[in-house]
Amino acid sequence: MHKEDFSRLCHTLSSDKNNALSEAVLSVVKDHQNIKNKKKLPVVWLETNDSGDNNIAFMNTTYPYLGRVFEEMIDLLYSNTFMAAEGRDALNILDQVLNIYKGKFTLVVEGAIPIKDQGLYNIIARTKTRSITALEAVTRLGEPAEHVVAIGTCASFGGPSAARPNLTGSVGVRDVLDREVINVSGCPVNPDWFVGTLAHLLMYGKPELDQLGRPTLFYGFTIHRHCQRRSYFDQGDFAEKLGDIECMFSLGCIGPRTGADCPYRQWINHVSWPVKVNTPCIGCTNEDFPDGSTPFFTPMPEKNKKQGDQNSPAPGVDQV
Amino acid sequence: MSKQRVMFSPVTRLSGLLSVDVIVENGRVTEANAGGTMFRGYEWIMRDRHVTDAVYMTQRICGICSLAHGAVASYLLDELFDNELVENAQYLRNIMFAADFLQNHIRHFYFFSLPDFVKMPDRPPFHGQNPADIRLNPQDNQRLAEHYFEAVKAGQESHQILALFGGKAPHQHSFLHGGVAVAPTADKIAQALALLGNISEFVKSRLVPDTELIARVYSDYFRIGITPAQLLSLGLFRFGVKNENFLWRSGVLADGQLHPPRLELISEEITNTWFDQTGTGEIRPDPLKPGAYTWVKAVRYAGRYFQVGPLARMIINGFYKGGTSTMDRIYSRTLETLLITELMQQWLKKLKPGPPPINQKSTPVKKEVTAVTDAMRGALLHTALIEDEKVVKYNIITPTVWNFSPKNGSGNRGPVESALVGNEIPNQDMLFTILGRTIRSFDPCISCATHLLDCKGSVKAEVVY
Repeated sequence: MHKEDFSRLCHTLSSDKNNALSEAVLSVVKDHQNIKNKKKLPVVWLETNDSGDNNIAFMNTTYPYLGRVFEEMIDLLYSNTFMAAEGRDALNILDQVLNIYKGKFTLVVEGAIPIKDQGLYNIIARTKTRSITALEAVTRLGEPAEHVVAIGTCASFGGPSAARPNLTGSVGVRDVLDREVINVSGCPVNPDWFVGTLAHLLMYGKPELDQLGRPTLFYGFTIHRHCQRRSYFDQGDFAEKLGDIECMFSLGCIGPRTGADCPYRQWINHVSWPVKVNTPCIGCTNEDFPDGSTPFFTPMPEKNKKQGDQNSPAPGVDQV
Repeated sequence: MSKQRVMFSPVTRLSGLLSVDVIVENGRVTEANAGGTMFRGYEWIMRDRHVTDAVYMTQRICGICSLAHGAVASYLLDELFDNELVENAQYLRNIMFAADFLQNHIRHFYFFSLPDFVKMPDRPPFHGQNPADIRLNPQDNQRLAEHYFEAVKAGQESHQILALFGGKAPHQHSFLHGGVAVAPTADKIAQALALLGNISEFVKSRLVPDTELIARVYSDYFRIGITPAQLLSLGLFRFGVKNENFLWRSGVLADGQLHPPRLELISEEITNTWFDQTGTGEIRPDPLKPGAYTWVKAVRYAGRYFQVGPLARMIINGFYKGGTSTMDRIYSRTLETLLITELMQQWLKKLKPGPPPINQKSTPVKKEVTAVTDAMRGALLHTALIEDEKVVKYNIITPTVWNFSPKNGSGNRGPVESALVGNEIPNQDMLFTILGRTIRSFDPCISCATHLLDCKGSVKAEVVY
């Protein structure tokens, strides 16, 4: 309410009986307080070794759309992708966050952390005298953060950035921090999983996590369990080629050991997902993605045999 | 005024991590070292994998232009397996590719470039914005700031078209070798047309006039950030049973002459890049290499640097007659966006409802293939050498490698560095503003740019380069 309107209200109702003034003023004050004290999550977002796909996935959020997320859910204090500030001004903001928001901010990390050669394979910023590596930044900001959220499979478990031969010694955030990390995996993340996790933190606190540190809300069941093509699988009716309408297990689908709700939730305003376009799920939310998923189009049992490694199924997954 | 060294880092609002080390003397930029500061070693990651993994694996090089990598890997596999593309597959592929172009260009203009010219609301993530050179009148400024938030939906709807046919985005699933695995049905075509209608409306009523307004108010940027007129495109929107036709032609423009590109003239070097060459000729990363300042290698054509991207495409195809300045790059990207909405409309109407237009052959007829296309940011090249269907070598040259090439052994500058050097800096407050506007006009994607290749010989001669 504008100042003038407020004065007018006070004048008009000043002589009214039945406490009309208090009633009117109190509700205005209450609304004002609600807006002013509206809780938003202060967020620091570090981009490390990644493809940038997770910030693009984040831009694809619908209900709430990105503008509303900025307006009502988070104060995105530092983000290489979005912040208007640049250069030294941006770095100063990062310094301020450590002073002002200590213990109160959520650290979002997008990307794996290279640890070989003192982490020099990823430098988030440079000054005239030194380089700030992702390793240093994540370690330094990870400790005073209230929550640490790893967005995408690279940040969660290493992902494609840590795929063999992993020249840079890239690892997930959990491997460089001695604290709990909420892993919101996916390559990229489904925006619902990430924005939903932020919403949970904001409204209800920490969500329930599975053994891999992921919100069970999104990762608690396998793709296979809820797949629209499950009946084909149960009847042994398998696709012969990409584009077929039958079960994609024969073409490399690893939905049976992949925790994610894609069949229900779907992608980009909930319109589709990989199996719906007649291709296999490649298990992009998994701890061993992508090495445990390649060759992508080889059936699961042979995939494991060919690679000669132990693809132990993730905890709680449906057995084939 | 004395000589001053300034580190512009981080250069925000782009894809990946970039730092630029600048020397300013007497109010003028006299040197610039643009450094891509992330490295993943993607070509090594590709080794020993089944070659058909290339589409899904290489998309993960880049989150913002993922489909471009998927497309060029599909062209590569089409040639390797001798696939034949039915007409529906050709249209559908180009519709999907075009949808990702719209997503890229709309988001680049509004999310990355606009805060360089428009005062944004004073709240995160716009806090700390440098107001040194914001020139729009309050009404225009407010309108354009509001369009930032309208662009959110236009960008999302572009990806919704892609997901409708591709299953998800980024890193779509159905555009593969042999065609597209999804059936173009009447409902999907109608949904895509409806989404495209919204996006076209946004492009016509927002993006185009907003670009024109900024070009008018900041018209001095037609004289800032000028590069040598050496432009290169590898062609865009491939059609034909064997992907043999490019709708938008390829070309190499230098000294006022336009020639078709000859891939064997492409070469790379590592003088200022954090790589070393071992005695056996193999390249290894060395982040402590003295004197080096980037993970991006220097790529040249016939020994010269070339600028790539929408400006190169628009000029080479005769759609744009302007120069090679910062504002020309911004302007031609918007022009291209408009042209693409019109093309998509035509292509969607040419789709015929039917079964999934995919036919993958299973036996390779070659051992070595180079495939090219232009991606959103410019020329993109993949080369694969295989043995028993497994990748022996997989090499990638991305658009940002062309534009962000560091100096070569002789100290010659690549496109971005030459666009920065020579600019006047009227006062200290303007330094990052002027540099930032110019750097972003190239739409850098550093996650794409920093990869490890072997660099000897040439494409045709030895696959590796």
